[in-house]
Amino acid sequence: MIHHRKWGWGLGVATASAVTAFGVASWQANAAPATPTPTVAAERATVSDPQPVPEAATGSGNDALTSSEVQRARAIALTPQLAADAEDVTGKAGPEYLSAEVDPEAGGREAELYFYDYRSEKLFKQVVDLKAGKLVNSFSAAGMQPPASEQESRTALELLIADPAGDTLEESYRAATGKALNGIEGLVPTAHVYTAGPADKGAEKCGRNRCVQLIVATADGRFLSAGEFIIDLSGRTVARLK
Amino acid sequence: MTYRKIAGAAALLTAAALGLTVPSPARAAASATTCGSAATVKETLPNGTTWQLCWRIHDKAGLVLTQVYVSTKLQPEPVQVLDSIRLAQLHVPYDTGDVEYDDLTDIGMGGYSLESLDGDDCKGGSARQGSDGSAEPAQRKVLCVSAEPSGLAYRAREESWGENGPEPGTLYSRQGHDLVLRTISKLSWYEYVTEYRLHDDGQISARLGATGDLAPGFEADAARGWPVGSGDAYKAAMHYHNAFWRVDFNLDGKGGEKVQQYDTKLDGQGEMTAKVKTTRTDITTEGAFSKVDQRWWRLASRSSANADGHPRSYELVTGANDRYQGHPETKPDVTFSEKSLCEKWASGNDSDPECPPDIRTVVDFVKDKQTLTDPVMWVRVGFHHVPRDEDQSPMPMHWQGFDLVPRDFTAMNPLTPDGRTGQNGNPEPSAEPEPSGVQPSGSRG
Repeated sequence: MIHHRKWGWGLGVATASAVTAFGVASWQANAAPATPTPTVAAERATVSDPQPVPEAATGSGNDALTSSEVQRARAIALTPQLAADAEDVTGKAGPEYLSAEVDPEAGGREAELYFYDYRSEKLFKQVVDLKAGKLVNSFSAAGMQPPASEQESRTALELLIADPAGDTLEESYRAATGKALNGIEGLVPTAHVYTAGPADKGAEKCGRNRCVQLIVATADGRFLSAGEFIIDLSGRTVARLK
Repeated sequence: MTYRKIAGAAALLTAAALGLTVPSPARAAASATTCGSAATVKETLPNGTTWQLCWRIHDKAGLVLTQVYVSTKLQPEPVQVLDSIRLAQLHVPYDTGDVEYDDLTDIGMGGYSLESLDGDDCKGGSARQGSDGSAEPAQRKVLCVSAEPSGLAYRAREESWGENGPEPGTLYSRQGHDLVLRTISKLSWYEYVTEYRLHDDGQISARLGATGDLAPGFEADAARGWPVGSGDAYKAAMHYHNAFWRVDFNLDGKGGEKVQQYDTKLDGQGEMTAKVKTTRTDITTEGAFSKVDQRWWRLASRSSANADGHPRSYELVTGANDRYQGHPETKPDVTFSEKSLCEKWASGNDSDPECPPDIRTVVDFVKDKQTLTDPVMWVRVGFHHVPRDEDQSPMPMHWQGFDLVPRDFTAMNPLTPDGRTGQNGNPEPSAEPEPSGVQPSGSRG
């Protein structure tokens, strides 16, 4: 009895490359269905489905910061000086709190907290060692604009509605809902931080100033016209891009 | 015996047959998780392949996978593949030139943009709870983990020669499966699916899906828009989704991979047809590179080899890819940079006060052409979206992404059935073997 092993090998190689090519081809938009129809009897593949566990007080290794870690880190990051000198988007004392993330490269549990100070127009990064319970580093720089906080999105929407430019939004709201706009009630803003490019006219200060572009939807998901405006949260002005 | 038991027994026998080392306590410790149990995904697929990793949500990047290990039936000890993989930017410019978004650094895929799984989002899978990565983190069900069939993994029928001619012999035919990890981010009208498919043969596929709705009111002329709705009164603006991923390998936990580019070209005439030559170029310093026909890259370990003595490596395989010419950083297909904690985002990187303000894009990352000792791979995949009537509504999911394919990560197909474990190497050895392997042609940065 002779086994034609060579045949088997040839087939094996051809099959492997065909599978790879299909994987790429099936991602192209407009291509064949993404999931190929199984051509052999499928085994039922399952994954475990663990019950959610209560959030731990502290994380380990690469875990995201827990709620209580963020709370502790915020208290440490907000030094008396920063609390007194800085201003948030509404003009109140204390910086605008933006985000907190774990730094897994630090080895232990280190939190990096970002704040924006509207008085100095600077972004602050406060590094907190959670195990030692102390601020280990502080950096600040102008001209850096991370994503907006929810309070900043809301404030931008208020500024837009209060501005004559907000008339377009009000008309668009009336057309969509048949009702008159009542402040920011019933509106869902999404803010993109806006930095002026060299060719942009009308909002040249954005980048040094903290600015956003808003996408506004009604609570039931209808989009209103607001995209052509840039809201300068630092200057508290609204500009239309030319 | 259940399937798993059979697979386990076979794996042990096979490991012994291949002369693989038995997992030592030291190696087991190396693969220990570096995250809590809620952030660990460890699942075994029907062919015996186990993927293990940590996940978390970053407010800008969205889903981040770290410490990705794989073990297979033939290689039961977990071996690390990735230190981490995540999105590094999603740049969306409209063809009208009126607007562009750097979605990760202008709004973020995590935090309030991250959707809780609902409806059919995770049908047949397990919706895992974790922090949404927002400034005031909330525990929500945001990660979908599922096992999905991937079609025919291999097929081979052996033929025997009997008294009456050829007779059908053993049939090797197996269904493959992927472990699929998915999150959904809603960035206003567009909704994005971040997906990683961990195949049972060791392949990793990263892709981004876009659904939701077309941007309302983004109107354009015929050169920049496509009529949707009745007649041609309203033309929806064409736009790009330029996605970047940051990939940090850590093959077998050793790190410091070599970066190599391979090119295949015609090379004269053979006895019957053209000769073709494949050459290797070592990429030893930072740089940005683009695809030409039959060009590919791999990251190869300097110190970890498979049981055949070949360096373990993973190959970057790209497919459909539209190149947006509007910015220098959206032109290269892949950028290799020396790992730096200040290099986080493919564009809009000037967002950390601890870091230099002029390191804005991937192009800046590689300007000083540092020697690569710990490379990070930045993969760009663009999709030019020309709207069509079918995009309303909701928009059918469109995908863009790439594959990371194991090359000599294991000595054989990790799914090799028991009957084929002896078939490793030249099936018909000759007295004087031909020289094999691709010869280097030089090096460049």
